[in-house]
Amino acid sequence: MLQKYNTAVQAAGKHVVLGNFKLALFLAFKSIIKGNRWALVLLILVMAFSFVNLIFVSALISGIMTTMDNQMISYVYSNVVIGPREDKYYIEKSSRLEEKLRQIPGVASVTSRLDYSAFIEYQWKQKVSQKDKGKSGTWEVVGVDPEQEMQVTTLHNQLINGKYLDEYDRDQIILGMEIAGGLKARTADFLTLGGASVGDKVRLTYPNGVQREYTVKGIVYAREMQRADRMAIVTREELLSVLGRDIYLDRASQILVRAQDGADEAALIADIKATGIREQVNSWRDYGGGQSSVVSTFDVIGSLIGSVGLIVSATVMFIVIYINVLNKKRQIGILRAIGIPEIAIIGSYIFQAFFFAVAGTIVGWALVNFVLQPYFQFYPLDLPIGLVSLHVRTMALVGSALGLGTAGVLAGLIPSWTIMRQSIISVIWGT
Amino acid sequence: MIIARELHKIYGHGPGATHALKGVDLTIRKGEFVAIMGRSGSGKSTLLHLLGLLDKPTSGEIDIDDIDVLRLSEREKARFRLEKLGYVFQEYSLIGELTALENVYLPSVCLNRNNGYKKYARELLDIVGLGERLTHYAGELSGGEQQRVAIARALINKPGILFADEPTASLDAESSVTVLKLFKKLNKELKQTIVMVTHEPDDEVYVDRVIRLSNGLILDA
Repeated sequence: MLQKYNTAVQAAGKHVVLGNFKLALFLAFKSIIKGNRWALVLLILVMAFSFVNLIFVSALISGIMTTMDNQMISYVYSNVVIGPREDKYYIEKSSRLEEKLRQIPGVASVTSRLDYSAFIEYQWKQKVSQKDKGKSGTWEVVGVDPEQEMQVTTLHNQLINGKYLDEYDRDQIILGMEIAGGLKARTADFLTLGGASVGDKVRLTYPNGVQREYTVKGIVYAREMQRADRMAIVTREELLSVLGRDIYLDRASQILVRAQDGADEAALIADIKATGIREQVNSWRDYGGGQSSVVSTFDVIGSLIGSVGLIVSATVMFIVIYINVLNKKRQIGILRAIGIPEIAIIGSYIFQAFFFAVAGTIVGWALVNFVLQPYFQFYPLDLPIGLVSLHVRTMALVGSALGLGTAGVLAGLIPSWTIMRQSIISVIWGT
Repeated sequence: MIIARELHKIYGHGPGATHALKGVDLTIRKGEFVAIMGRSGSGKSTLLHLLGLLDKPTSGEIDIDDIDVLRLSEREKARFRLEKLGYVFQEYSLIGELTALENVYLPSVCLNRNNGYKKYARELLDIVGLGERLTHYAGELSGGEQQRVAIARALINKPGILFADEPTASLDAESSVTVLKLFKKLNKELKQTIVMVTHEPDDEVYVDRVIRLSNGLILDA
């Protein structure tokens, strides 16, 4: 008879699997619909805020990285940087190359820069002796074509005082905030000019011995400390006159290429290289230098915080669902006693927990997408590196949702499975 | 038919162990309405739990309808309980989130045989006098009504044996009589085998036979 019964049980297998699935869904659905409304709302809110917590930190870090990236593109390098050939210091016949670049599809605008350096002095007449350093230092001086430069970078929008250069300016100079010094500069005062303002005179001594005086026309405050706030800018014409017009007229240190909105940078670089030019073609990322290591550091920190956040969120979710399951211990015992298969009971709690995780994820996503992101768009965080808004990465969204979903499944599985291991009588009577 | 041989149940280990059943032999025939009676601690609930496959004996044998049920795996036991046995517990044991009708047909859902179980669940609720309370939730039913729903649920898969563990313990006198009369009716009209644990002497009038337990042994069967 035992053999006969076992065979009968096995024969019913397919029906049983379907039945168990149906029953698990049915129990989960009824439990969610008819359970305590407030408990349901609180559970979903816990999940939602856990999700927001996960997303928020990574989105903020991503926002910082995006701000830094945008600064590098907007103020310093644009999208693509053409550098001199490996065996040269300058790009030769730069105007012809500029024209060539302008013909390439996907290129929005092009400008060339001449890079040099200079010993810059402020209030030099107040020096008491030749050995007195006074308010001075050596910085990079960039010669730009103001009209073309404004088509490629947005540095001209970052002036906090004064005006940007005009095409015919000769004795005018723009100073980066970290050169000028003053209240907003983050560099120690003695390493800057100590507060040079618009209208003040500065004296530049170039490495070739040329010495000139300039009036500060504007001060740039881009909050990009690596380069933009540490540059002095004069017109290309002015720098040509310093370097020697005859030799440098058709030379450039760099040619910056701005891509059209939505253009694929990598494809554009490939197209530029395909023209056969022998100059070095690089993405702005390749020039990141120290910046890229900061970005990588943020990336690692972001991943670490995200992992810890996921563990914390998963634990909170686990505890909440665990308590919910334990509160139904007697009910689980009754279900087992009347013969409801374990798999159907466990399945019902997994479905419930999964529902809480999914509902929480959806509510959390809505909070991020429709509340937090728009809020930070309108009111970005004013951080030392710049204005930062949230930048939600799809990978972070998917990762957080998967993490919470997995935590939900475990939170439903583990407590109900634990209860299944206890005897029916002790579960029913709570002994 | 239930045949139990030399059933022993010991709770705990060592000197503090409790010998709840000390070698119980009994036979319950098909269609009988049997009461297991005894004082508190006599082992009557323990015996019911063993016969109903809710707990394992320390030693002994149990055959139900010629099946040595103690040799079944846990999964097979669950299936056996679902198909062959019905239970009515001492305290209200309905699932709060389900209506009376849903509580009754719940054990049938996982058998997934056909959709006839809903109709049969309605018939059973009619039989227990709750045909008008199908959509009421457990919290909206009185204690007696909840027990009657539990009885209907116990019968949904047409079990061979119905076990009831002090089903009237939490009920008032009137509801107790209603439940016991219902058991009697099921026994007489449907030839339902019923094994009921009770400590109420008055309940004896409803049953065919009384098995008296004292200190883990059968005194009188």
